[in-house]
Amino acid sequence: MKEATRQKLTTYSVVSGPFLWTIIFLFIPYMVMFTYSFYLKKFPTFVPAFEFVNYITIVTDPQYFQVLFRTAKIAIIVALSSLLIAYPLSYVLVFKIQSKQLRTALYMAVIVPLWVSYLLRAYTWKTILGSEGVLNSFLVWSGFLDAPTDIFLYNQFSMVVTLTYIFVPFMVMPIYMALEKIPRSMIEASKDLGVGPIRTFLNVTLPLSMPGVIAGATFTICLTFGDFVAAFLVGGPNGAMIATIIQSQFGAALNWPLGAALSIVMLVIVLTIISLSDRLERAGRIDLD
Amino acid sequence: MNLRAGKLLGAVAAIAVSAGLSASAASAGEVNLLTWEGYADESFIKPFEEATGCKVSATYVGSNDDFAPKLAAGGGVYDLVTPSIDATKALIEAGFVSPLDLSKIPRHGEIYEKFRTAEGINHDGEVYGVPFSWGSIPFMYRVDKFDTPPTSLKILWDPSMEGKISLWDDKSALYVASRVIGNMNIYNLSDEELEAAKAKLIEQKPLVRKYWATAGELVDLYAGGEVWISNTWGGYQSSLLADQDIEVKEFIPEEGAEGWMDSWLMVKDSPNEDCVYKFINMATSEQGQCGMSNVNGYSSANPVAAKNCMTPEQFKDLHQDDVEYLDSLLLWENLRDRLENYTNTWNAVKASG
Repeated sequence: MKEATRQKLTTYSVVSGPFLWTIIFLFIPYMVMFTYSFYLKKFPTFVPAFEFVNYITIVTDPQYFQVLFRTAKIAIIVALSSLLIAYPLSYVLVFKIQSKQLRTALYMAVIVPLWVSYLLRAYTWKTILGSEGVLNSFLVWSGFLDAPTDIFLYNQFSMVVTLTYIFVPFMVMPIYMALEKIPRSMIEASKDLGVGPIRTFLNVTLPLSMPGVIAGATFTICLTFGDFVAAFLVGGPNGAMIATIIQSQFGAALNWPLGAALSIVMLVIVLTIISLSDRLERAGRIDLD
Repeated sequence: MNLRAGKLLGAVAAIAVSAGLSASAASAGEVNLLTWEGYADESFIKPFEEATGCKVSATYVGSNDDFAPKLAAGGGVYDLVTPSIDATKALIEAGFVSPLDLSKIPRHGEIYEKFRTAEGINHDGEVYGVPFSWGSIPFMYRVDKFDTPPTSLKILWDPSMEGKISLWDDKSALYVASRVIGNMNIYNLSDEELEAAKAKLIEQKPLVRKYWATAGELVDLYAGGEVWISNTWGGYQSSLLADQDIEVKEFIPEEGAEGWMDSWLMVKDSPNEDCVYKFINMATSEQGQCGMSNVNGYSSANPVAAKNCMTPEQFKDLHQDDVEYLDSLLLWENLRDRLENYTNTWNAVKASG
């Protein structure tokens, strides 16, 4: 066998695994879901058809816009609050902590919670934020409050807190990487030219770390968009997210076609976010070489 | 009925009830259940396995909504299912289950007539289900938080209850709101009546602490001091709370309460028919009936068997000889093609605000 042929075969065999995986477990299921979204609900289950009824329902019944809007709102708030926590943290880790061991240890401390079950971490917030929870007990004990308050749990605030806590590592990781890649020489050059620390940050560090910020925001927004566990565990009467509604269409309503149509809408939204962020990142990219 | 504390949405935990094959097996066989956790309890399953040699495996559902999707996903896995009476008709009409041969179920005639003849398990002159258990959806309150015990559903719209109310995250909320409005035909609500129920529930939202989804969650809500009043699965959560020394009391509101009933249905083309009938006969007997009632606190569908194996107190507490009580309950009905309207209305309530 010729060397070139052998190399080609090797390449194919390496690529074919992931390729087949993508086809079988991603592409085909998406196509099945897409097909279902044109089916019609008919008691007791549903019948094949090619109708746009499900999509029309999504557009005309205000409940779906309400939930999509709420989901988007919560996703953006989660991304912003994650950013507010993750950026300063990553900045301190990269630029202020000199000891390499300490830096790695602190970085790991942010990542390690990812190894703990998502459910467990979300559940923990119930015991912290509840009416008889840790936070209320502390506030009453310390005299800030006369009686426990129920404003911490079972509302959108508690959902944002929980989701931010859970998704913060996905914001820290890309920002940390982006900051670490910035050559110190650039910052020193800025200083040498007599530029103050704030302007150096705004004109040099921040623009160079934007790809990390965009990647982090994309992660947190998309992850929040598909979440229904936070709504289930710590969300209140106004906590239903789009994934909650999709879940009920596949379960309680036994309306797989509408559920599939909603899933397709959600998929399109998430893909739009990803491609937008990709463009933003390209546009903002600064060649360091 | 939904049973398991801490179960997440439709998550199902599949476990084999018995660790190994029974050594004294008279005839080898098996029966695979898709059911509520307390319906495959070792206390009555183990003796059954030893007596018949039928090995029992159980997969647990988290809600009545899990049966149809599981069976729709393909057969050959389960032999018996236990949906509630509002979920049976869809399984029958979808062809997921088979009619039963009553000559093989000698004690069928002992079951409450109201249940045996229920529309949901009878179809085209054939019987598809054997009733197993029943109960009500009463309301429940923390005794220490009420000077005068509540008697009406109106309390759920009383501003003084702000932040202390919970309702089951289910279409059942529409049944509750409709009864308060005065629409007692809760299983045949028109679009206008559904809209009225929706408006009533949206009006109530600021007072609601949380819509509860699982038995375990409701228990947590009471235990954590979050909730003082809610609907509940009669007998179940209240006994779990009693274990935690939290005193709650169940009551049937003036506006009435829903009733539920679970039956055993045989999955179509089950290869284990022999064991299936043996299991159904066990479930209908003293062994299964009292086994189920003792584990779950639900009432038995066979009053003859219940009388034989219950203490007089238990028999009375579970309303086993109280036909009037049984008749007062609004027994769940299948909503047929209206189900999606109900579900979407309930979703719209949750989407608002």
